[in-house]
Amino acid sequence: MKQFIRHILLFVVLGLIVGELIARVFVLNSEVPQREIDDFGIQRYKPLQNGDYKGRTHSWTINKLGWPGELPNSYDNLITVIGDSFIENFMNPSECHQSSYLKELNKEYNYIEAARSGVSLIEAMEITKQFDSLNPKLHLIYINDSDLEESIVQLARHNDITQLDLDKNSIVYGKMKSPGSKKILYNWKFIYYLYRRFPVSFNTNEISPEEKIDVNSKSIYFRKLLNFIKDNYEINDKIFVFRPDTNPETIELTRNMGFEVVDLKVESDKSWSFEYDHHWTCYGHREAAKQVNTVIAERK
Amino acid sequence: MLFNSLEFVIFLPLVFFLYWFITNRHLKLQNLLIVLASYTFYGWWDWRFLSLILFSTVIDFTIGNLLRTESKDVVRKIYLWISIVVNLGFLGFFKYYNFFIESFQDAFTFIGKPIEINSLNIILPVGISFYTFQTLSYTIDVYKRKLEPTKDIIAFSAFVSFFPQLVAGPIERATNLLPQFYSPRKFDYENAVNGMRQILWGLFKKIVIADNCAKYANIIFNNSDDYSGSTLLMGALFFTFQIYGDFSGYSDIAIGTSRLFGFNLMQNFAFPYFSRDMAEFWRRWHISLSTWFRDYLYIPLGGSRGGTKMKVRNTFIIFIVSGFWHGANWTFIIWGFLNALYFLPLLLLKRNRVNTDIVAEGRLFPNIKEIFQMAVTFLLAVLAWIFFRANSMDQAFQYIGDIFSLELFSIPEVFSLEVFLLVLLFTIIEWFGRTKQFAIENLDKLNKYLRWSFYMGLIILMFVFTGEEQEFIYFQF
Repeated sequence: MKQFIRHILLFVVLGLIVGELIARVFVLNSEVPQREIDDFGIQRYKPLQNGDYKGRTHSWTINKLGWPGELPNSYDNLITVIGDSFIENFMNPSECHQSSYLKELNKEYNYIEAARSGVSLIEAMEITKQFDSLNPKLHLIYINDSDLEESIVQLARHNDITQLDLDKNSIVYGKMKSPGSKKILYNWKFIYYLYRRFPVSFNTNEISPEEKIDVNSKSIYFRKLLNFIKDNYEINDKIFVFRPDTNPETIELTRNMGFEVVDLKVESDKSWSFEYDHHWTCYGHREAAKQVNTVIAERK
Repeated sequence: MLFNSLEFVIFLPLVFFLYWFITNRHLKLQNLLIVLASYTFYGWWDWRFLSLILFSTVIDFTIGNLLRTESKDVVRKIYLWISIVVNLGFLGFFKYYNFFIESFQDAFTFIGKPIEINSLNIILPVGISFYTFQTLSYTIDVYKRKLEPTKDIIAFSAFVSFFPQLVAGPIERATNLLPQFYSPRKFDYENAVNGMRQILWGLFKKIVIADNCAKYANIIFNNSDDYSGSTLLMGALFFTFQIYGDFSGYSDIAIGTSRLFGFNLMQNFAFPYFSRDMAEFWRRWHISLSTWFRDYLYIPLGGSRGGTKMKVRNTFIIFIVSGFWHGANWTFIIWGFLNALYFLPLLLLKRNRVNTDIVAEGRLFPNIKEIFQMAVTFLLAVLAWIFFRANSMDQAFQYIGDIFSLELFSIPEVFSLEVFLLVLLFTIIEWFGRTKQFAIENLDKLNKYLRWSFYMGLIILMFVFTGEEQEFIYFQF
């Protein structure tokens, strides 16, 4: 038995070393930028980082403002593009970002992106405030139902997401989720690879709190959220860009409450998403940008 | 809990430690640990269905003991039938209820008298087909007085729920596995090392071969209308290696894990794609199920003892039931029927036991005749797998029709050189290991450094060429 245990331990140690080498040489994981919480309570990335995406297919950059992507040459005639992981878009090279496609389609404007995975609608609204000094012409906020849901404490409390407490009518800022463990995990590439490749799951078969709330109740909460936004933010310079997977009732509700919306539609048989990832491919981003640009052009 | 999950990586060493270091002095305690570990393993997926396993365990344990004391044949037969009806009743309800309802509706619609019966939203409990057959083997063997019924409920519970093979086999016979729970276990270094090797090889088959092939098989089968004959053939080949890598990989991990705990399970796959005829293929593919059907269905039906009519009838019954066992879909039934058609000429011409040895045994390479035989058998299996993989009968017939077109000779639109090379490497390793229980068994003759480099090489391949994670195919059966 002793010999067996000794050999197993040796095997595990060798496996970990070989695995770490493989993970680093072949970039089995995307490198993950480090985050911090700024003075306004918003989680953003530490400025001026860069790294490689999985398989070293392309690299990503965090600009000096702490958001992924490159900054425009000028802040004149500025449009901001705000959203979650879809806009953060680490899975595509920089030329496939919304700002690149929008610039390509309409050179009159300059575009700046501010995105991070997990951004809720209310956090996106808070982010828009940070660009006030640059006097942007327009804010494009890319969302779907879940971004509205995640904004509301009463639907489900997420400590790491900035949310609105409808009972207190106040914003609860998200906290960093296990920053120490994450730092270790992201730097120990092989373990991070295993964690991603073989996610731990336990099916309790219990209904999640979100599922317990019926659709009608949700729309009441959504209405309250949108009313809060109307009361506390300037909405005339904002367009909500709804992703194609959004419930049409949510879009209709938002539109009826006086918000300008873009209802993105997949118009051909070709999918906008990766095969094993719901995020958009370059093709999906280009198609989305075309539809958004039409609205920008009409607005002018 | 999946074998290729992080939970299992934590679960296995924990159970191993408790088994050999904490409970090792008491056999009952060791068996109890196996039961608890097995219920945790199963409950991780859905704890509600543990009640089915518990119920089957109690019923068969009780019936086994009633059979011990009962001498009247009629009463004994009634006990046996209670066990069969209860076990197959669960299986029938969870797996086949909706199929029968829909088939009845289709049949009545066909004769112009449509009927309306509501189907149910039933979740199929993982592994129900496997553990049902395993417990049935116990009751039948006790009834036939081939096995002494156990009085040890813990040992029996461990036999029914033994976690390495609970959800996807091998389907163990009570005569082989149950007695292993009675005797004290002694840690055997060689057996444990071979167990680890078998687990490694099983993981390689699943993660590198099956999951990579699955990616392309899914693309082609899910869009089969859009592709040329050559691409469709490629899709069928990808699926052929996917299902072998997936299922035999699971069996390897199950058998390897059992070895770590001092148990020996039966071999479930014996390099079936190197078979020279379909009879040999069926002696080498899913051996635990084939032999189960042989012993508990084919032989009781009369086997090959009767005349030609009986042989034909029994062959069709066993293959069609085997197809139906895989799933409640006509595609599986036709898959079984097709295999019966392949097998029948060999049986009637008494050529079904011609190739009972290992192909090219003692030689490095097969001769021309063997290559031809293996190629034909392999292509017949590929053709049958199309029915197994297709979503419907229409798709299967369309798929085969489209393969046999002029476009069969065009360049495939979907192909992966990377996956082709991986499958080639895998086939070469399997070929050189075909005389063993699994391809990389007993590598001790190799130099230690070479052997460890080989292990690390497999690990490197697993991480570099890892496919998108797919659930084990046989979990759905």
